[in-house]
Amino acid sequence: MKDRGRFSRRQFVRTLAASGAIAASSLVGQKVPFLSPRKASAASTVLFQYNSPDAPRIPLVQSFVDEFNKSQSEYEVKIDWVPQAQSRQKILASIVAGNPPDVTMVWDQNLPEFEGMGALEDLTSQVKGWKHYAATNPIAWQTVTVKGKIVSFCLGYTNDGVFIRTDRVKEYGLKMPNFDWTWDDFLTLAKGFTRPEKNQYGFGMRGAGQWAFTYATEVMYGNGAQVLKDGKVVINSKEAIEAFEWYIDLLRKHKVTPPSAPTDAYRQIVMGFGRGVTSMVTHSSGSIEEQKNSVGEANFTTLPWPIGPAKKRASFYQCETLTMFKAAKNKEGAWKFMTFMMEDEPHFQYCAKTGMLPTREALLKRPPFTGQWYSGFIKSIPFTIVSPYLSYVGWGSILEAVGAPLIQAAMVGKITPKECLDRWAENLTRNMT
Amino acid sequence: MKEQEATIVAPAPRPLLSRTTREMLANYAYLLPAAICLGGTVLFPILKTINMSLYHNVLFRPQDYRFIGLGNYARMVQDQTFWLTLRNSFAWVLWSVSFQFVCGLAAALLLNASFKGRVILRTINLLPWIVPGVVVGLVWEYLYQPNYGPINDLLRRAALMREPAAWLSEINFAMPAVIITNIWRGIPFFTIMILAGLQAIPIEVYEAATVDGASITQRFWHVTLPILRPIIVVATATRIIWTFNYADLIFVMTNGGPADATQITSTYTLLVAYATLDFGYAAALSVILLVIMLVFTALYLKFTKGVESVAG
Repeated sequence: MKDRGRFSRRQFVRTLAASGAIAASSLVGQKVPFLSPRKASAASTVLFQYNSPDAPRIPLVQSFVDEFNKSQSEYEVKIDWVPQAQSRQKILASIVAGNPPDVTMVWDQNLPEFEGMGALEDLTSQVKGWKHYAATNPIAWQTVTVKGKIVSFCLGYTNDGVFIRTDRVKEYGLKMPNFDWTWDDFLTLAKGFTRPEKNQYGFGMRGAGQWAFTYATEVMYGNGAQVLKDGKVVINSKEAIEAFEWYIDLLRKHKVTPPSAPTDAYRQIVMGFGRGVTSMVTHSSGSIEEQKNSVGEANFTTLPWPIGPAKKRASFYQCETLTMFKAAKNKEGAWKFMTFMMEDEPHFQYCAKTGMLPTREALLKRPPFTGQWYSGFIKSIPFTIVSPYLSYVGWGSILEAVGAPLIQAAMVGKITPKECLDRWAENLTRNMT
Repeated sequence: MKEQEATIVAPAPRPLLSRTTREMLANYAYLLPAAICLGGTVLFPILKTINMSLYHNVLFRPQDYRFIGLGNYARMVQDQTFWLTLRNSFAWVLWSVSFQFVCGLAAALLLNASFKGRVILRTINLLPWIVPGVVVGLVWEYLYQPNYGPINDLLRRAALMREPAAWLSEINFAMPAVIITNIWRGIPFFTIMILAGLQAIPIEVYEAATVDGASITQRFWHVTLPILRPIIVVATATRIIWTFNYADLIFVMTNGGPADATQITSTYTLLVAYATLDFGYAAALSVILLVIMLVFTALYLKFTKGVESVAG
């Protein structure tokens, strides 16, 4: 009784042998050899924080990482998928804690903040010696240059253009504008599209989120306005106010936007166009694939922003970067992975699948970038500039916290466009550090 | 028979601590794990927040990190958006909780009566409470949608409206619209609490009141309500605190807009913390929220005589 629950030495050896036999039999027929070189123990880890893990992007990025890990044996990239909404805080917290990832994908608008914390690795000399340096569009280096230092690679970029429902142009007998259309052409078309009784509106204006003020600023540039001039904030100039009044009038006077415009954010404007509520919308090439599915490939095209009264127009360049931190633990591995991602094929595939534009002209000549849906964005490249809201640390972050409520106040008529821009200029000036 | 030997039992040594002290220490020892947990998860974060509120602490400007005393509180006095959000918070709480209470009480009285299908109705009544807040926000955002939302559609079909109303984008409609959603969501809470109270009232009390000639209204005012008072006080206080700090409905439906029309102090605090990363100022806003709620709860419990029983 006493020894009932105990193993004798002989029983233990028998059990061990039996277990071994069972395990060995289960391996019969395995295609992969049970014993193979153990790569993980030899390779040093590169921690890669990826900040926009939408369903289509996860397998794409994972496939690049798998390919990189297979292509060499020195480094093994491990991905930390972080939802976009939490990515900025997570990086900032990790910088403060002195433990950032080795490399991260992050929007260029956050770079000044990280540089403000002294957290970014200066890649200037390495980048200038990189084989694709000269072939890369100079603006791609401009946007990732902070205080004279190149701190990132531009993994893919977007600028803004106007999506237009070509099927409705035909249906309503409207004149399809060309690339050099003007504000008047825009307004005429928007009015022609507007059918409130059918819940159809000409233009999907954005009133929420940080891009609400960004789009409005692009319009102001069409009238010769600027955010900064000679180191001073001039976004409340006469030209800016006139342009902003024209823009706000689209909602308040001409009523060519959905009445929900003041609270419409990214999802509402993109879905509004996709569902046929609006027939024109401003957005980046990032939503082309979604619109192909929603509206149909043959039913829409894109154009650049229309030319303003000052015979000018601007589109703001924003990019997803690959950025390395000063406190990265594996800088060599991070650099190797970054340059791998910027090779022709991964760079092209990443951009083609996410709707962004590659930074080398040769890649722009390959489909899908030659399709009609990209035409508005490609044609915008000559007047695409780095967003002026990247000029100062913190300007990017107040676009949402201060800019959105201000533009909404103008959209609902609580304040005039002039008051809105005066207050906006005051806020930007206060945050010039 | 063997003669028994007399033995002298040595007196037990006097314990170092008296029995009462030992019992008291043992009781405290039992409480210690809970106290450590509460201290770590409630008290420490509060103290840390108070400490943080005394610093200029913008996360992306670590070089500017410095002690500024009451600087963040002084800034709050000048911050017009803060005062606007505070006014919005009071309107949000007042209208939400009062209508939730009245409708919840009515629903509880109805569900306390005997009728066929009562069980199904009780279950249906719980639905708004069961559905997550974010889903509630999305569903109501769709209902309010000016272009294809059912509310506008019904009003237009009934010839009560010509132009579609942008319920969540009009400065005058946005707050009432989110309050209505919150009322809908909060009614089941009051219904359950009050229904539980109603079912605990002995039938004899009503019989005695009836024998004394009390009408239905008199029985409600002089029997039902006084007995329910402790439950109503606790439920209302709890709900007020929740609503004051509740941010997800507004975040999903309007994100505080348009033009801060639905921005309440708790959503404003989140915005300051996570959009501008000004953790010092956000901490000061949180401390003020805490103080407001503490003062309110103390006054509320004092004026409503707390949860004392009716007899007491």
